[in-house]
Amino acid sequence: MKRVITIAVVLLLVLLCGCTQKSGYPTATEEFYVNDFADVISETDEQKILSNAVVLAQKTTAQVVVVTVESLEGKTPADYALEIGRQWGVGASEADNGVVILLSESDREIYISVGYGLEGALPDSKTGRIIDTYGMEYLRNDDFSKGLFEISKQIVGEVYIEYGLEPQSDYVSFENATDNYAEQDAGDVISSWIIMVIIIMILSFMFRGRGRTVFFFGPTFRGGRGGFGGFGGSSSFGGFRGGGGGFGGGGAGRGF
Amino acid sequence: MKKKGLIIVIAVVAIIVLLIGSVIGSYNELVEDREEVVAAQSAISVQLQRRADLIPNFVNTVKGYTDYEQSTYTAVTTARAAVQNANGATEQAEASNQLDRAIDIWVNAVTEAYPDLKANTQFTALQDELAGTENRIAVARRDYNEDAREYNTEIKKFPRSILAGIFGFQAFDYFEAKAGTENVPQVSFD
Repeated sequence: MKRVITIAVVLLLVLLCGCTQKSGYPTATEEFYVNDFADVISETDEQKILSNAVVLAQKTTAQVVVVTVESLEGKTPADYALEIGRQWGVGASEADNGVVILLSESDREIYISVGYGLEGALPDSKTGRIIDTYGMEYLRNDDFSKGLFEISKQIVGEVYIEYGLEPQSDYVSFENATDNYAEQDAGDVISSWIIMVIIIMILSFMFRGRGRTVFFFGPTFRGGRGGFGGFGGSSSFGGFRGGGGGFGGGGAGRGF
Repeated sequence: MKKKGLIIVIAVVAIIVLLIGSVIGSYNELVEDREEVVAAQSAISVQLQRRADLIPNFVNTVKGYTDYEQSTYTAVTTARAAVQNANGATEQAEASNQLDRAIDIWVNAVTEAYPDLKANTQFTALQDELAGTENRIAVARRDYNEDAREYNTEIKKFPRSILAGIFGFQAFDYFEAKAGTENVPQVSFD
């Protein structure tokens, strides 16, 4: 009898493992904002990234999440980052203000996926340029830890600015950065108003058909995309978690 | 005797009310599902339009930077026009796949001929915008397929299939990555 129970328990565990592994994407760590699955981020950088992200979330509800993996397992960096954003629900659900910074060690790829609500603050061109300006040098020299920290602090700073707040102290303003972007931001000009329109449209799509009526004729229950309630930036006991932010494929990436 | 008749009448009325209620409920749900698919469809169009707007800027940037030949990007212009003139989702999808390839080839050719372009921040910025938009298009299509699949399954399931038949709910087509890479547009800088 005991043996039967043991076997049953083992089988159940195997089944449960199978369920969680099925999606092929990792689940978030307790720290949520830093998920160093590839173990490339130093302890100090991890703490710095984490504290920046936690404070940002408290002040704005926006969530900037750093993820490192050993391999993308054949997926594209853009898809991988998007799926993590959607599955973890990065960002608050009403504001869709999540960012996923994904680095794959063996693929030597970085991708920053930006939630709907931050596409105005972080258009693809700016996101790409943040990687180029602040991260590429470190990433090329295998200093993933420093590269990710530099990139994430710039992203966090941009989000503060979007919310009309003073960026955190380690943020470097783009005007002071040593490149010549100031005179040539055609990309931003085009995208800024287009993005506003898109965001409004997308938001109105998303809120349509989220709640569903239950009726006798075989009711269907279904969650909206990226939606699990709205606890944006909330910290629960023993860790942080996502608030159900939505992602639509915006962002930029680089191989290094 | 009278009492029994009354109970039967009440029961019949109750059943009819329930039936009508569920028909209305199901109908409304189907409408909601259909609207979701339509919304997903227009999300794709928004991104396609966004890309169409980006392309001239992109081309102009390159034009300003290089001794640039008009003829090199005719494939892109033709493909872009084809997207805008496309009728229906399938035609639009096919045309925009063609445009994807045309842009890819053109960008490769341009950066090969002018390697310095890669260091040009404006070029990189536009390239990022374009890549991001292409990614959004891909995501929007996937989302659409998902919504369409749910809706299509819903209208084929019994007993809703009856309702769907009566009220004319029709299945949506899926976007499929067409194998058509053979007709790759050529770009040359001779």
